[in-house]
Amino acid sequence: MAVSQSIRPNERPASRDAGSLSILWRKLRYDTRLSGLAVLVVIFLLSLVPVLRLVSTAIAPGGEVDFVAFASRLASPAVIRATFNTLDTSFFGALLALVIGAPFAVALSMTDLPGRRTLGFLLLLPLMIAPQVMALSWLHLFGPSSTLLGAFNLSPLPGTANPLLGRDGIILLYAIQHAPIIFITLRAGLMRVPRDLVEAARSSGSSPLRVLLTIILPMVRPYVVAATALAFVSGVGNFGIPALLGMPVNYLTLTTLIYQRISSFGPSVLPQVAALSVLIAILALLGVTLQALALRRSGHRFTVGTPARFSLGGWRLPLALIGWIAILFMLILPVLALVTTALIPSFGVPLNWATLTFSNFEEVLFRQASTNRAFRNSTMLAGGTALLLAFGAVPLAIGLERFSRLSQRIFHGMIELPYALPGIVLAIACILLFLRPLPFIGSLYATPWIILAAYLMRFFALAMKPVTAAVGQMSRDLDEAAAVSGAYPLRRMLTIIAPLAAPAAVAGALLVFMSAFNELTVSALLWSSGNETLGVVLFSLEEAGLGTQAAAIAVTTIVIVVGLLFLLDRLGRRLPAGVLPWR
Amino acid sequence: MRQLLAAAIVMAAGLHPAFALDGKLVLYTSQPNTDAQQTTDAFMAKNPGIKVEWVRDGTPKIMAKLRAEIEAGNPQPDVLLLSDVVTMEGLKKEGRLLAFKDANTDGIDPALMDRDGTYFSTKLITTGIIYNTKAPFVPSSWSDLTKPEAKNLVSMPSPLTSGAAMIHTVTLTENLPGGWDFYAELAKNGAQAAGGNGDVLKAVSGGDKLFGMIVDYMPIREKAKGAPVEFVFPKEGVSAVTEPVAILSTAKNPEAAKAFVNFLLSEEGQKLAVSMGYIPARPDAGLPAGYPDRSTIKVLAFDAAGALTNDTANKEKFSEVMGQ
Repeated sequence: MAVSQSIRPNERPASRDAGSLSILWRKLRYDTRLSGLAVLVVIFLLSLVPVLRLVSTAIAPGGEVDFVAFASRLASPAVIRATFNTLDTSFFGALLALVIGAPFAVALSMTDLPGRRTLGFLLLLPLMIAPQVMALSWLHLFGPSSTLLGAFNLSPLPGTANPLLGRDGIILLYAIQHAPIIFITLRAGLMRVPRDLVEAARSSGSSPLRVLLTIILPMVRPYVVAATALAFVSGVGNFGIPALLGMPVNYLTLTTLIYQRISSFGPSVLPQVAALSVLIAILALLGVTLQALALRRSGHRFTVGTPARFSLGGWRLPLALIGWIAILFMLILPVLALVTTALIPSFGVPLNWATLTFSNFEEVLFRQASTNRAFRNSTMLAGGTALLLAFGAVPLAIGLERFSRLSQRIFHGMIELPYALPGIVLAIACILLFLRPLPFIGSLYATPWIILAAYLMRFFALAMKPVTAAVGQMSRDLDEAAAVSGAYPLRRMLTIIAPLAAPAAVAGALLVFMSAFNELTVSALLWSSGNETLGVVLFSLEEAGLGTQAAAIAVTTIVIVVGLLFLLDRLGRRLPAGVLPWR
Repeated sequence: MRQLLAAAIVMAAGLHPAFALDGKLVLYTSQPNTDAQQTTDAFMAKNPGIKVEWVRDGTPKIMAKLRAEIEAGNPQPDVLLLSDVVTMEGLKKEGRLLAFKDANTDGIDPALMDRDGTYFSTKLITTGIIYNTKAPFVPSSWSDLTKPEAKNLVSMPSPLTSGAAMIHTVTLTENLPGGWDFYAELAKNGAQAAGGNGDVLKAVSGGDKLFGMIVDYMPIREKAKGAPVEFVFPKEGVSAVTEPVAILSTAKNPEAAKAFVNFLLSEEGQKLAVSMGYIPARPDAGLPAGYPDRSTIKVLAFDAAGALTNDTANKEKFSEVMGQ
């Protein structure tokens, strides 16, 4: 494990026994080069190897670089159509997300709106609830089969297509799913707008709206660009939403095209889907680069004072009401629709006291072996990933501290890479890596280990972020005091840094757990018999026409995730600022 | 801290599903989830020593999964219970199926069985027309789906997802006078081909679409639960698949697999199929409620060998005609 130090005082006691074992032990404890190497190896294995493997299969499947073949794999009409659909839905989805997220960001961070914390918490929920669950709930809200609308005799006429299916529905769901990203990013920018500027403008007679448009907006423009770029990237990589809203009407994006190809044709199409994966990866990385460039120009131009704050006066309650109505439509109604669907015996049956049944919950929670297994598998996989990453993150964060600022930035970029890439791309990379038997470990395909490996790669960045922040903020005094008193790096890490970083590591672990627990994109291609995840069984039940049982699973996962979020919120007081976005 | 670390390791280690017990049997099937569960539950009740683990997906998808596993050198299933004999015939040609000559095939038409004993038909599943009870007219012929009143209201399964849909497409194009033109007309009428039979059921019972092509047992069964759907055997006749079961030559537990095959073909297994709403392979097992008499169902013939050799071409032709 990585052991390191930030200062190098006279820590080597003069006399020590020199048995060969103790020399090795001492080497491990003292030698910081060794620990640095360990850090590099971990980052290399988790972040770079999958990407390199993918690129090599895409452009050199037979061992020789062949760009002509690469291009010809991408030139089919289906690929061009899917690429256009991806860009189209992601772009308009990001714009609409901006329209939803920006007013919330301004209202919740710059005004005295009542109930700000609760609204912020609720607005972030779509980010934590899996995309396929959100898509499913919206699907059940509209359309002639809506149990909720049906209960009030409001459902559309039979034969009306569900308005959520196809392009427009995907754009709407991208907007709702990614509005929280806009909200978080913009809020970070708004917090930096100094009060004096706003007050100066106000006292020279500008109206609040004018201040917003002429002072605040120009100052946060880089954040607007960055936030929109991030929302765009998330749309490019999304699988759950186009899978449920696009595939049933043959409206394919790149992610669903990859899924359809590999799940209908098997490994013979691997070179082609590798090429497609590289294509999406490039689209996603362009977005990430745009975001990074935008934020680089945001930095150090203003002195940061107390954040500006407007008083809303008589508008407080009406605006709060508008906020709540928006949340009602975005979140509460769809979830209610999902719940009502989970309570009927078969699709299309109206809900009333006679038809109300809990049999769907009974079936998925207790009777069906595969859904039972899925709950167990997802808990184990998400829990294992969260624990391993939480324990790995602390020594890695300490190990990274000893590198130069530039190398640190490069390493963090590498760590972020698998998280920035669409999940389906990572899944393809893992199939390529682990399908053929490897020396010592054999083939990991069709075992749970391939999913665990993919999760470790994917959520590495999520676990590192809070811990890096916490370790970075830690005062050096304690560590130095311990070093002067003769404590070795390993001991200092265990007794001083680790306890201080523990809340951040736990927060990281919970974030990882929630993301992995509900995840579909990665496991959709990696699952095998006995290793189904919750995302996979939900999708499979929906595809088998058992929509009511899929709804029951979705409702259950929402309950679990919201419970975990409350736990995180309670933990929030002990965390460095900025780890929990809603606080 | 140390305890937590230990817990992490235990959790990670626990991921491996209990090292293959003697009595574990892995089944890959295209049956809907609830049916697969009921079938395996009944089998396990009879054979308490055997624990069945099943995976469900559309036949082409199950096959893609199996191909990837074969490539990884680690095919998982012992038994396959898939929609059609064409798929099985392909596997048999590659030598992937185990011959089980002593299977208990009493009372079943030998024409439904492979002569070499590598696969055994378990039921008769026909594909006909489903309509929502709120539909403007009651369809009675395949050509009704191309009527203007059905414009944009027809849903059908895609051969890329469903094995039964592949056979259905081959059968109709061989038997209807229009051949592929019938499908071209469907496409012109805005018929939607996506997903499997489950998707068709969902679309028609939910009212998104009002007509569809679908396997018989789904609408007949859901109607009994109160869903607003009806099933029609069109006058030209229906296509049929027989949901064969087969043992892989790489099966890790061939004895349990043989017991499973015998169970499906036994009187009890066949009666179970009836109780789930399927037409059984053994006529003496009876018929589920909601079906007309067996002799009145007209099953159209199709060229199975041709379907196997032209499989990819047919899929491509379908995609082209349906404008996908």
